[in-house]
Formats: sequence, structure tokens, C-alpha cells
Amino acid sequence: MLHPSPQTFAGAPKSTAARIGIGGPVGSGKTALIERLIPVLRARNVNLAVVTNDLVTKEDAERLRRSGLIEPERVLAVEAGACPHTVIREDPTLNMAAGDELEASFPGLELIVFESGGDNLASTFSLDLVDWWIFVIDVAGGDDIPRKKGPGVLKSDLLVVNKIDLAPHVGVNLERMLAEASAVRNGRPVIATNARAGDGVEALADAICRAVLFRE
Amino acid sequence: MIGPLLAMWQADAAFPSGGFAFSNGLEGLAASEPLDGEALERMIAGVLRRRWATADRVAMLHAFDRASDLDAVAEIDAEVEAATLCEPFRAGSRRNGAGLLAAHVRIATPGAADWQARVRAGRAQGHLAPTQGLVWRGAGLDAEGATLASGYMVLSGFTTAAVRLGVVGAVAAQAVVRRLLPLLAELAAAPAPDRIASFAPRLDIAAARHARGELRLFSN
Ligand SMILES: Nc1nc2c(ncn2[C@@H]2O[C@H](COP(=O)(O)OP(=O)(O)OP(=O)(O)O)[C@@H](O)[C@H]2O)c(=O)[nH]1
Ligand SMILES: [Mg+2]
Repeated sequence: MLHPSPQTFAGAPKSTAARIGIGGPVGSGKTALIERLIPVLRARNVNLAVVTNDLVTKEDAERLRRSGLIEPERVLAVEAGACPHTVIREDPTLNMAAGDELEASFPGLELIVFESGGDNLASTFSLDLVDWWIFVIDVAGGDDIPRKKGPGVLKSDLLVVNKIDLAPHVGVNLERMLAEASAVRNGRPVIATNARAGDGVEALADAICRAVLFRE
Repeated sequence: MIGPLLAMWQADAAFPSGGFAFSNGLEGLAASEPLDGEALERMIAGVLRRRWATADRVAMLHAFDRASDLDAVAEIDAEVEAATLCEPFRAGSRRNGAGLLAAHVRIATPGAADWQARVRAGRAQGHLAPTQGLVWRGAGLDAEGATLASGYMVLSGFTTAAVRLGVVGAVAAQAVVRRLLPLLAELAAAPAPDRIASFAPRLDIAAARHARGELRLFSN
């Protein structure tokens, strides 16, 4: 598949796989969503690989490798030197190089998912690294998160509100939270998910396919 | 005045090359013995003398001199691979080299794409020092600027990592940098030896121990 990457200069080799980012606060469910997405995307014949940016260990990479959902060689870990936002924004070169390595190892690769290490509401992805990115928050973090208007919430291409199953337990009015999220994002897309049960994951896969794989 | 500016541009931590993710043994050292500003300064001085001046600088300059001959650069690269005894340093140097290269390929620095193709094809390792020499030549630096940029990045890389590890404060770290600049200038002015030689066993041991550790902020 030919994927035009706007960031490459004339003469530089173009990336062939689409690159997407998944960021968001610690524990919001980024890895859980990736675990849900992998089988759904593979069922749609998407040739994919994952790069994780664990903060301190290789926990997430190991978890995905052991999951049996994807060949372990398709998961690379990039340690972030205690700087989860640097490695996706100010200096994404280690992630770029990991992406390049995956592309070289797996001809025909169509999609590389970069999971950011858990960070705060200010983390955003550099468009050098990804073509499109998702920010994942969860209802247990509080229904006031959208109102705090963090750059991740505002600037991401897609906002995911995860752990909707927990809303009744943490006293969150989900409908209002989603409406406020939509409002602060000026109507740009927001998806509600429950990564435990898989709710909303098909919609998430649809959004990815439409945005970067140009498939319905 | 473009020479010094080009060197500053490359030595600036704002130029993305992945260097921030490597502690080059410091994390392992800090975990095994109490370190303060003075100990940090001694440690960096030792690395500058016995690793940077005799190994990194030499490999970088040799590649700089022969940047248009990829076979020659690959030979220097193989020499670095053989001379770096400690696996975490070898792996870190390759990954840091790949990071620097990724940035230079994307800004279309002459020579970068060909070197990257060679590394990807498995016909070179792409270590940091020879990669610096090659892309810095392509980017227009002069040998003196390239030498200073390479040394300064080692120095500031250690102090930045030390701040993140809580060894020294961000301001105190700059006092360490200031005190070591004369040493760096002196080492940079000395003629480069013909062959690569490195000796910093404490850091090698610390990095090896670090590689086995569970909790790691840095890559090495
Ligand atoms: N109830 C519920 N729990 C969830 C859901 N999604 C994730 N979790 C749980 O939340 C915890 C954190 O999930 P992870 O997927 O590890 O979160 P993460 O964002 O990858 O975390 P970091 O990578 O450490 O930032 C785990 O215990 C998950 O089982 C959800 O939709 N509902
Ligand atoms: Mg995770």
C-alpha cells in the first residue's frame, strides 16, 4: 500500500506502513485496547506491528508478546529514558528507527501502532512519528478530565473514553462526560469503549481503517 | 561563521537523535554506589579521557575523513563493534546511531540514506560514532566542530542523565559541565590516534549489571 507521509522531504525514503499513536494517562487502558484491537484488525487482514514505550520496564511489550495475539517479533520495546513525552514528541527518532526496523523485517507491513508510556494530559505525538493519533482517558480518572482541556484531549485525532463499565461505580455521568468531551473538541470524534468486554472496539478499528488505511 | 553554528546545531539536545534515552552506564553505577556531583565529575572526566578521546572521537573522525567511501566507514564501524566489549554499550551505540540516522535521512542530509540502506541490509552495524562522522560530513561540519560536538554530547548526555537519576540538580549539573569544558577542549586539541582503544571497566561492569536489572529508566 502506498501511504503518503507528509513529513518526508523529497528524496528521503517514504514510510510504507501507516503509523498511529496511542497515548494517554497511566493506566487508562492503552495496552488493553491494543490487545482488543489486534484480533479485530487481523480479522480485517491488516498487516500490523506494535512499538511500546514503557517507562521503566518492558512490561507492556512482554505482555503483548506473551498474549498469543501477534507474533512476538512484531512487538518492539523502546525505553524512554524516563521521558515518555520526549520519545513521542521532542525526540521521536528512536521510535522512528524502531518503525523502520519493523518495516524492513516485515515486507507488506501496513500499520504500526506506537503505544506511548503512560503520561499526563499534556502529552501529544509529533507528526514526524505518526500520521494520526488517539488519546485514551478513562471514566475512573474523573468526568472533569475533558473540562481540563489538556492538549492530549484537545489535539488528538480521536479521543477514546475507556472503562465505561466503571461509570456507575465511580459516580460518573457518562453521557455528560462524552458530550463535554465532544464540545471541547469542537465536535471532533470521541469514542466510548470498555476494553474489558470489547465494547466500542469495532468502532475504534473502523476509525483507524478510515483514517490511515483508506479502507471502509 | 557557519562551522561553529553547524556544530552547535548538532550538539544541541534539541536535535533529535535518541541520545536522551541512554545513560551509558550511569544508571547502573548510580544504583550500585552513592554518587554525588564530585564523583559524577570524576566519572565523566575518566570517560572523556579513556573512552571518548581514544575511541568515540577516533571512530567519528576516521569516518568523517572517509565519509564518501562507505566501505571504509563500514570498516571503522566493524572496528567499533569489535572494540566495544560490553553488549549494552554496543546495542546502545547501534540504536543511538539508528536514531541519529533516522533524523538525517528525513532532512535529506547527503550520504545518510545510503548509509541507512547499508545498515538495514545488515551490511553494517550503524554505530553512533561512525554514523556521526558520516552525517556530520554530509551536513557540512568541519572536523573541529564535529569533534567538539561529539565530546560535548558525551558530557551533556551524562549530566542530563544524572539529573534525571537524581544524582545532581539541574543547576549543579551545569557547574560540572563548566568544570569539565577545559578538559574537553584539551582532549579535542590532541591529535587522534590511529586506532580505537577504550578502557572504562567500572562503567562496563555497571552497564552489564544494569542490563540484568528489572527497573530501568534508560536503555543502558
Ligand atoms: N473495568 C475496566 N478495566 C479496564 C478497562 N481497560 C483497562 N482496564 C484495566 O485497567 C488497568 C490498566 O490497563 P492498561 O491497559 O495496562 O493501561 P495502560 O494505559 O496501558 O497503562 P500504562 O501503559 O501503564 O500507562 C488494567 O488493570 C486493565 O485490566 C476497561 O475498559 N474497564
Ligand atoms: Mg500500557
